[in-house]
Amino acid sequence: MKRTGILFFPAFDWSLGDTHPEREERLLYTQEQLFEEGILDLPQIKQYSPRVASLREGLRAQALLPNPEAFSDSLDAHLIAAGSAILLGEARVRGDIANGFVLARPPGHHSGATVWGNRGFCTLNYEAILVNHLRARFGIEKIAIVDTDVHHGDGTQDIFYHDPNVLFISLHQDGRTIFPGSGFVNEKGGPNAWDQTLNIPLPPGTGDEGYHYVLENWVLPRLQAFAPELIINSAGQDNHFTDPLGAMNLTANGYGRITELLQPDLAVLEGGYSIEGALPYVNLAILLALAGEDYHHVREPQKLARPVLNLATLKPYIQELKKQHLGIKPRFTTQSKASFPKGNWMYSPRSVYYDTKGFQETRHDYIRECSHCAGTVYIESSRLSSPQKSILVRIPFQACPDCEQAGYDLWDHLQHHIEDTESGLLQNQLHDKLSFWNSKEGLREF
Amino acid sequence: MDAFDELKISDEQALNHITVSTSLVTNAILQNQVHPVRMLLFSGNGMRADALPWPVSYLELSGEMDFRGREIEPPDLREWENFLTPDLRENPALVVIVGKFSHRNSLHEEQLASYLRGINPALSIALGHVWGQANFYRRSLTTYLNLGVSNLYYKFAQQLQSAVSLRKILAPISILKADGGILPISKIRPIESIYSGPAASILAALTQIESTASSIIVDIGGTTTDIGLVLSGVPLLSSKGAQIGPYSTLVRSLAVRSIPVGGDSAIHASEQGFVLESYRLGTAYCLGGNVPTPTDAMRYLGLIDYGNERLAEEGLASILPMERQTPEFLQELATAIIDTVAERIAEAVVSLKQEWQEEPAYKVWEVLHPHEVHAFNTLVSGGGARGMIKALEKRLKTPIRLGAFPEVSNALGAAMARPTFDCTLHLDTYMRRYRVEETGEQGKWSGPLRPYREVEGFLDNLAQQQATFYGIKIGDLAKEPFDFFPIVQGYKTVGQIVRGAVHLRSGVVGRIHV
Repeated sequence: MKRTGILFFPAFDWSLGDTHPEREERLLYTQEQLFEEGILDLPQIKQYSPRVASLREGLRAQALLPNPEAFSDSLDAHLIAAGSAILLGEARVRGDIANGFVLARPPGHHSGATVWGNRGFCTLNYEAILVNHLRARFGIEKIAIVDTDVHHGDGTQDIFYHDPNVLFISLHQDGRTIFPGSGFVNEKGGPNAWDQTLNIPLPPGTGDEGYHYVLENWVLPRLQAFAPELIINSAGQDNHFTDPLGAMNLTANGYGRITELLQPDLAVLEGGYSIEGALPYVNLAILLALAGEDYHHVREPQKLARPVLNLATLKPYIQELKKQHLGIKPRFTTQSKASFPKGNWMYSPRSVYYDTKGFQETRHDYIRECSHCAGTVYIESSRLSSPQKSILVRIPFQACPDCEQAGYDLWDHLQHHIEDTESGLLQNQLHDKLSFWNSKEGLREF
Repeated sequence: MDAFDELKISDEQALNHITVSTSLVTNAILQNQVHPVRMLLFSGNGMRADALPWPVSYLELSGEMDFRGREIEPPDLREWENFLTPDLRENPALVVIVGKFSHRNSLHEEQLASYLRGINPALSIALGHVWGQANFYRRSLTTYLNLGVSNLYYKFAQQLQSAVSLRKILAPISILKADGGILPISKIRPIESIYSGPAASILAALTQIESTASSIIVDIGGTTTDIGLVLSGVPLLSSKGAQIGPYSTLVRSLAVRSIPVGGDSAIHASEQGFVLESYRLGTAYCLGGNVPTPTDAMRYLGLIDYGNERLAEEGLASILPMERQTPEFLQELATAIIDTVAERIAEAVVSLKQEWQEEPAYKVWEVLHPHEVHAFNTLVSGGGARGMIKALEKRLKTPIRLGAFPEVSNALGAAMARPTFDCTLHLDTYMRRYRVEETGEQGKWSGPLRPYREVEGFLDNLAQQQATFYGIKIGDLAKEPFDFFPIVQGYKTVGQIVRGAVHLRSGVVGRIHV
């Protein structure tokens, strides 16, 4: 029997604030709906109970800055959601289940490679933590993440931007009309991972028909060409027509169909804040579709009253977007520092806004161009208000000897020469080794 | 009453309480003796009803509620006239009406019931919302079974009561439930009397262990062994409702594993040596039976003193090829048989512990404070207990003890049982409605939108009323911390959903010392 795992972790005792969208009530009605349906009595459904991820598991994918152990926000709820994703992902890889749904809060896809706090309701990126765990522990090499949240999955994109073995696809409401304001077709991946990031910004008003058209005609062929060992769906539910933050027009049935088309190995809940009008029904439809059951009887009580962009209007827009996407060629700036090891270093600066507490992170990313592996990455990061910076050095999975050496050279240099550096993390993905250094306490292994 | 008379109680009038553990309802269900019931469902939208395996037929009607108990679609009276009236107008019949989310709002169930009573007063009608836990599927089947066995049960209850009063015994009669609690014979809902046997064996063990100990309880019978867990003195409850035959129910029950192995399990020769069958073919060889059993192995090894030693040897020898029928191989075979029984029991213990440790958690606090690992001891009872002690001690790696009166442990457990009690409140201050899971009571809330202290008193009050109705005394109730869910509309808090519960978990009225 094709088994479907569910890990339901509604964090009923945790919120980002009394009236914050990310509050105790968010999955309450989903629980009512799923339990009342008797969905756990379906013979193919297996419920799992959550576990806490370790800090080490988190650091495999993300640098918690300036210091993981004295992180400014409490990580408890986030670590449980991350552990839950790992638990269900392991069950999938071991073959205990054919697919699964991590129905946990809070969400995670806005959280990137360097983390100074909560942004877009996210602190840890569960998909990324899971993906790197499965690669480190189970030797999985190629994974695709398809983000169907209404918001651009900018955190996930950031973590895998230079990684040719992770295909990241995000479909979202056009960034010119919604947080976080990114996710355009020209964001196609770093120099060593060109075309392994695909962004499809959709106009507000896109409904089921249009969304499915894009999946069938653009996303699925791209997935097929990549041939991943695992597909993970960042299953945000804020494309629903009742969502208070999004302006898209998808229905619960439409979400069922998305799941049916993508056939993800794992769906991971992201956003979705129409907690009464959408979530109980969308979650039910996704779970039924995963379990191979008929989801067509799932119907939200509210009727879709907003005008839906019809397919005839959307098709030319998508054609144009595809053409644009195809026409964009890689353009990177070569730039390095005197202290850098030999090689051709590409430089890309960026700035990240943390909306929850309202501050800015400044980033300077350097990538070692490499034709043998994903290339070592060196990231300088600081909060705008602070003169002190923190560093992330990442030696990628399957790193070539030159890139590994370059990573260690950078790491050595960091500890001995840089006065304005507060801390740093070495992610040696090749050997699954994690070292953290800070100027006061020195070096420690995780 | 024959069994009762055999007790030869000298002063029957001095009895102060009678508790009955009956398999009447269990057997009726497993032997397909449930009275046919018409089942009418307001199944609404969502998952298709037929996605789940229904062991009985049903009719789906329009009408839908949502999770807050709001009416999404009213029932369709024309449907009632067309489909129901011709059929149910004349004869008496049993009818259950169950709505999806009726535990949040029973309106549609009540409306249809009153319509049906209007056209035929001879109908016996039961409504689903009185089983107030979530799960439409289980609520439907539970309501169905409860009504389907009620005639049988009430007849039994009446006969039992008149037989007892004929003997001028004034002691009240209680029935043992699947959750190890007792309720007065007139108050219990018939379906709640299922699986009282396994519950009784756990209670019997409770009378013999320290009140805060954690124990593995093993009750080895002739063909079945029941295994349960007691955690800090409280028997583990199953996180799902009881499953009986093809029926999934909402009946609360102790988490008990019943495995088909016991002292009388038949043993056959196989290529690998022997197979321990899951059935019985008469009594043990050493007691005059025709096939060897674990009891023969125990007898041969001298672990028990009943049964004929020479027959035990003969029985075991029949499994071995001629050339191996020597004391050395017989010894090895007998030991292997006992170890196999111990192994099966140990597997069940592991699965039960797993169920306990993998109970879903929905709060951060619960995940960060997982169940502590208790140091367990083991109590073994039942007819086959004596001979298994050593093997189980070795396999389970816990201190082990033989229960007192192992042959009558069920009766001991039933006699020492006390009431259990649960009162679970679901309050929606915005909708101004409250519900009680255990009774299905639904009522109006006139308190504040954001209550705090008030809910505690409110719940205490409900619990007190419920206890009075059941005729039980509730002293110290265990209180679950309240969950408060602020209901927010447009960044404003407009009300609260509050969930809370009080419990009296299963236990015994005293302890025995032997």
